[in-house]
Amino acid sequence: MTLKAGYLPGVSDDDIEWQTLSYNRDGQAIDVRVPLLSDEQMKHLSAHIKEKSRHYLKSLPVSDITAIIDTAITRLLDRNNAYRQQAEEYLPLITGYDAEMIRLGLTGYLKTFRQPELRRFIAEDFANPKLLDEFQPLPKGGYGRAYGPDLLAHIWAGNVPGLPLWSLISGLLVKAGNIGKVASAEPLMASWFTQLIAEIDPELGECLAVVWWKGGDVEQEQALLNQADLVVAYGNNETLQQIRDRTPITTRCLTYSHKVSFGMISKTALDMGKAWEVAHQAAFDIVRYDQQGCYSPHVFFVERGGAVTPQEFSQYVANELDCFEEKYPRRTLTIEEAGGVAAWRQSEEMKAFADESNSLISNDGGTWSIAYSAAVEDLVPSGLNRTAKVIAVDQLDDVAARIAPYKAFLQTVGVAAPPAELHRLAGLLGAVGVTRISALEHMTTPEAGWHHDGRFNLLDLVTMTEVERSAEIASEAFPNYVD
Amino acid sequence: MTEAQIIETLLEFIAADSAGENEFNAFALQIFAYQFENNAPYQRFCRQREKTPRTVHSWQAIPAVPINGYKYLTLTCCDPEVAERVFMTSGTTKDGVRGKCHHPTLEVYDASMTTAFRQRFMQDHDTIRMGILFPTEQAMPNSSLAHYLALALSEFGSEGSRYLLTDDGLDIEQLFSELDRAVQTGEPYALLGASFSFVHIMDEMERLGKSVNLPQGSRILDTGGFKGQSRELELDEFYDLLQARFGVPRDQCINMYGMTELSTEFYDWGNSTCPSVKSGPHWIRSRIVNPLTGLELPKGEMGVLVHCDLAHFNCVSSILTEDAGIEVDNGFLLLGRAEGAEAKGCSMAVDEFLKAAQG
Repeated sequence: MTLKAGYLPGVSDDDIEWQTLSYNRDGQAIDVRVPLLSDEQMKHLSAHIKEKSRHYLKSLPVSDITAIIDTAITRLLDRNNAYRQQAEEYLPLITGYDAEMIRLGLTGYLKTFRQPELRRFIAEDFANPKLLDEFQPLPKGGYGRAYGPDLLAHIWAGNVPGLPLWSLISGLLVKAGNIGKVASAEPLMASWFTQLIAEIDPELGECLAVVWWKGGDVEQEQALLNQADLVVAYGNNETLQQIRDRTPITTRCLTYSHKVSFGMISKTALDMGKAWEVAHQAAFDIVRYDQQGCYSPHVFFVERGGAVTPQEFSQYVANELDCFEEKYPRRTLTIEEAGGVAAWRQSEEMKAFADESNSLISNDGGTWSIAYSAAVEDLVPSGLNRTAKVIAVDQLDDVAARIAPYKAFLQTVGVAAPPAELHRLAGLLGAVGVTRISALEHMTTPEAGWHHDGRFNLLDLVTMTEVERSAEIASEAFPNYVD
Repeated sequence: MTEAQIIETLLEFIAADSAGENEFNAFALQIFAYQFENNAPYQRFCRQREKTPRTVHSWQAIPAVPINGYKYLTLTCCDPEVAERVFMTSGTTKDGVRGKCHHPTLEVYDASMTTAFRQRFMQDHDTIRMGILFPTEQAMPNSSLAHYLALALSEFGSEGSRYLLTDDGLDIEQLFSELDRAVQTGEPYALLGASFSFVHIMDEMERLGKSVNLPQGSRILDTGGFKGQSRELELDEFYDLLQARFGVPRDQCINMYGMTELSTEFYDWGNSTCPSVKSGPHWIRSRIVNPLTGLELPKGEMGVLVHCDLAHFNCVSSILTEDAGIEVDNGFLLLGRAEGAEAKGCSMAVDEFLKAAQG
């Protein structure tokens, strides 16, 4: 089976070099052809996208754009739609994630991009969304209008299906022309979405492109960075540093680095009636996309003093993970990934062996593991792929101080606590750099309009053009009707 | 068996030409029984796995300690206070604690090293003029590699062999003069050291536009990989460069694979093709297992290496490494450390986190 990724308006398929990415999961092989552009072709494509976005997209009202995206999303939500069916069939093969997990994940994720959610998304960043369409009076005086870049370059990473849609849709909402570079780990979803947009509105399709190069190919990357007006990049710190270093100084570069997330469970959530449900929710956050997301939990800080002890809670989570393994089996790991899990597990096992206040529970196949520590420990990422640690603490309030040194890496905290405690913890966590607090079971599904890593997803993309009050006043001297 | 009996038997075992499966197995079980009895943390480890000398009947079934274990446990049969030498592992715990391997005597280590080194590196030479690209044993008393290279020099280095690293770093002038001397005299020359040192030297040679054609019979031994201490090279590129810079054919560039947690090293028969086939002498055997289940994998499938090194008699003989490998005819392919691959998504992995947190 061979599929095609990429989307290149204004460039003929025949002129392009195509490479083949091969995937083989559990005996099912699939090839994906991806386009590799020359420097000249990248320039040509960039010029095309800039031109089309200037002449068409910039004059399209935001409400029209949201309507077009909504149409595309509605089709992708429809399980009879050909694109949706492709996604359900091939994404599990490409990424290895369980098919049912992907199906549910896609639906939940796509729902956050329907029209009402998109409007909420815009309203989060623009008190007056019409700023994106025309000059609007500003509270301080004068007028202003927000302009998206003519060419927004996205450098995506990772295998969490559909994640590129985030920044791509953000780009569209601010009327940016977009060229996105897909990751080899999942090159399809962004390609399909772009094709779908082009089917719905061919002119808008001319403002979008999806390209590929092998991660780290400096020449290819440079070709795009040179043309972009704004860059949004995802990846590890090393990759991002390289991208930032190569971005021309006059081009802004927004980076989203890897993050660590964790859970917190109050003793009041640990009575006999509630603890199982809480453990179920915590396990779900671990299972969802095998902890590959920045919002996936690595550690759970669990408060002592509840009817269920932190150690018992770790056993509950272990039990839930075992049940989930039946329903949504973990994907087959590469040897490197298995090595990572094994190294983490062996280290925890040796710790448990040397110190009885630690323990490790795991199944025979090694498809999940839960470590437990009675001693206060620092936040350290787990071995990923369904490995997590329960750390017992006397008071949840003490956690913030312990995680403070890791401010640059923190993202989501899933909290199970009563209202007063939730709000108190929010204050403590926000102060040390946590940018998102969610319920357990929702850690991996941010709500529509969330601020990724605490940033303003849309505002960060625009530049304001302001007509100052002085210009308005001065202009009053010059009309022909002036007295 | 007592420690003295183990040592005596080991020295005989190493001196023998070979060992069959039965001999290896029998001796491995005796050493296991000795370690089970005298190494208390190891005994607990085995009991937790419900393995004792009574229930273990093959060397493959001897519980293998993850190399991480050295960070948390003192794995020694002898009193750690009386050990002749302590080698420390490079890996550390969060608190900066390094794992330790205690050697009550270096007699066995040295016999193991010299016997295998003679067979695998020296081949038809008794001695060879050597240059060592690594600090001395005095500078790094807890480094097993420093001891290994010191032994190579003292046992097999002909007159004039020397260290080419000083306290100030690489002595490039001395190196060049040694290389030029070898070219002029036609006397075979051997360079031995850490892989990353060779990268630094070759970078420097490139800068200075230097390359030499060492006489036939010259050879190179590198070990340890690049470990972030130099730029990372593909193996093929590395050996091509060695051949180009020093004129030593790739089949005379030997890579040694060893670790502090062992007393025996593995070698290849040159690196004409990479990855090369590695093998060890008759007192060490290896298996490839699934890192998560610990089950042995069929030949040809990639897994992690488990070594059973009889010469490492004082600590634990069987260790579970984090090195990926594939079993092939006459040995295994070493595919580097099966390091915690970075998350394929945007989640942070341990290695990356530690690197970033240290900033």
